[in-house]
Amino acid sequence: MTAYVLRRLAQMLPVLLIASFAIFAMIHAVPGGPVAVIAGENATAEEIAEVTRRFGFDRPMLVQYADWLGRALTGDFGLSLHSRQSVLQLIGERLPATLQLALAAILVALVIGIPVAVASAVRPNSWLDRLLSGWSALALGVPTFWLGILLILLFAVELRWLPSASRYVPLWQSPLEALRSLALPALTLGVYVSGVLGRFLRASLISEARADYVRTARAKGVPEQRVVGLHIMRNALLPFVTIVGLMMAHFIGGAVVTEAVFTYPGLGRLLIQAITTRDYPLIQGCILVILIAYMLINLAVDMLYAWIDPRIEYR
Amino acid sequence: MKEALAALTSLLRRLLARRGPALSLAFLALVALAAIFAGLLPLDPLAQSIADSLKPPSAEAWFGTDELGRDILSRVVYGARTSLVTAFGAVLIAALVGIPVGLVAGFYGDWRDSLLMRCIDVLLALPNILFAMALIAVLGRSQGAALIAVGIAGIPGFARIARAQVMALRQLDFVMAVRSFGGGPGYIMLRTLLPNILSPLVVQAIVLASIAILLEAALAFLGVGVPPPTPSWGEMLRTGKSYLYEAPTYAVLPGLVLTLTILSFDTIGRALTAILDRDETNASGATIGGRR
Repeated sequence: MTAYVLRRLAQMLPVLLIASFAIFAMIHAVPGGPVAVIAGENATAEEIAEVTRRFGFDRPMLVQYADWLGRALTGDFGLSLHSRQSVLQLIGERLPATLQLALAAILVALVIGIPVAVASAVRPNSWLDRLLSGWSALALGVPTFWLGILLILLFAVELRWLPSASRYVPLWQSPLEALRSLALPALTLGVYVSGVLGRFLRASLISEARADYVRTARAKGVPEQRVVGLHIMRNALLPFVTIVGLMMAHFIGGAVVTEAVFTYPGLGRLLIQAITTRDYPLIQGCILVILIAYMLINLAVDMLYAWIDPRIEYR
Repeated sequence: MKEALAALTSLLRRLLARRGPALSLAFLALVALAAIFAGLLPLDPLAQSIADSLKPPSAEAWFGTDELGRDILSRVVYGARTSLVTAFGAVLIAALVGIPVGLVAGFYGDWRDSLLMRCIDVLLALPNILFAMALIAVLGRSQGAALIAVGIAGIPGFARIARAQVMALRQLDFVMAVRSFGGGPGYIMLRTLLPNILSPLVVQAIVLASIAILLEAALAFLGVGVPPPTPSWGEMLRTGKSYLYEAPTYAVLPGLVLTLTILSFDTIGRALTAILDRDETNASGATIGGRR
């Protein structure tokens, strides 16, 4: 297992190397590129030349990349072009906020999605199944930014129960305040994921229910609750773990729209700011961190597999 | 060609026989007609009248007016153009790149397969929306950039489906027969395999259309989509969100049209998948070889 994890970690390196070079090359392909941002809009030719020389943009791109990579390996991702703060520090401030929102959203999704999937899989094609499948379709189809607006209208504008703009409050500092801030964004994202989970878990529950071992268990006289809860559930869990893991990985950067609706200070919004202000070191740092998080979560999912299903062995 | 047309009509008839897909088709037809003939309707999406700003829905302005006094219904109708053009163009780009990639990868299955699929994996590693945003950062903000960004995000879907289908078909008798008659790789891919995998690709195109509309709207909502003053549903939601207290219907109504459009594409896509799955089940047991 340790050897397997180490090998997987080693395999991440070439991917990161290629990805970081691709981002670097893309940024330098932009007309004007970083020079235009640093020098400002009304810069004279001399000022542009000065910036180009001072920041080393006149060197070959490969040399610039090697320079950046060398510093990135020591944990130095450079300074933001706008705030002049360290890129790593800016990302570090946002990452806990994003993780807290992602976990809360997954929790909401599990609470809604699992009962929906089990209830519809127990009696496929019944009226309840059709109703709940309709819910899943709705949850998947409604854009999160529209659902978010509707929730704000109801809970913030009409009822005045919850704030319309969410702040990041660490859960361990002030649980109540954190929950008030998290409730709407977590519900918005969670509803969407409950649609994904509902659909996938239903499908895998139904296909597992047809398996031979289920018939054997029933023939042995195992109570129905135990058949569904223990035998079917456990086997249907495998694809389910993948989906939850993928969603989690997706939220590290992909929750950007929900974060924008609730002006939540997550990593996704940091990246939008970086893109709209053309803050290149920040764009590069954000995308790399998102990629690393994505790959680490995927690795964690694969390791969970082995734990749930002892037949799977990693060497 | 005639065969394909007959298959299409029969598919359409089976879709219309069910309530959900029939309603979805009717709604999409309405949106498409409004988008195409928007110029003939008494609507002006750009006419401003500051005195009439942020009015609630009324007999004159069914959806109310926005912060510049522009008619929201007019902007929703013209916004349909933006949405549908982006969706159509994006699906076209994704199909034109994704299908050949999938055909080649699935047909050869050697180093070409590994190489192409690793590239597809890289596309899949970043969430669609981030990839699209990064691309727009490079290309600059325009309708063309939004269209290309959304299109590239759709490439993996087509490539994977085409590849999986080709891999299932390439060893079957009728492909072997063409090969033994001297059909080259290009001929087999385009004339033998492609016609036989069209149905799942059409379904994918419809599924992708709903994703493309959502993605375009999301980009506009984030302020990096089609630039103003071109009306776009996402942009309307973005501005409407600032006036939730003064004019709650401003963001709600365009969002409703957007949501119904996405749900309609999704409903049709799922109904088609169900129909094709049933055909597949009925056909298995009999020979799967011949052209369907």
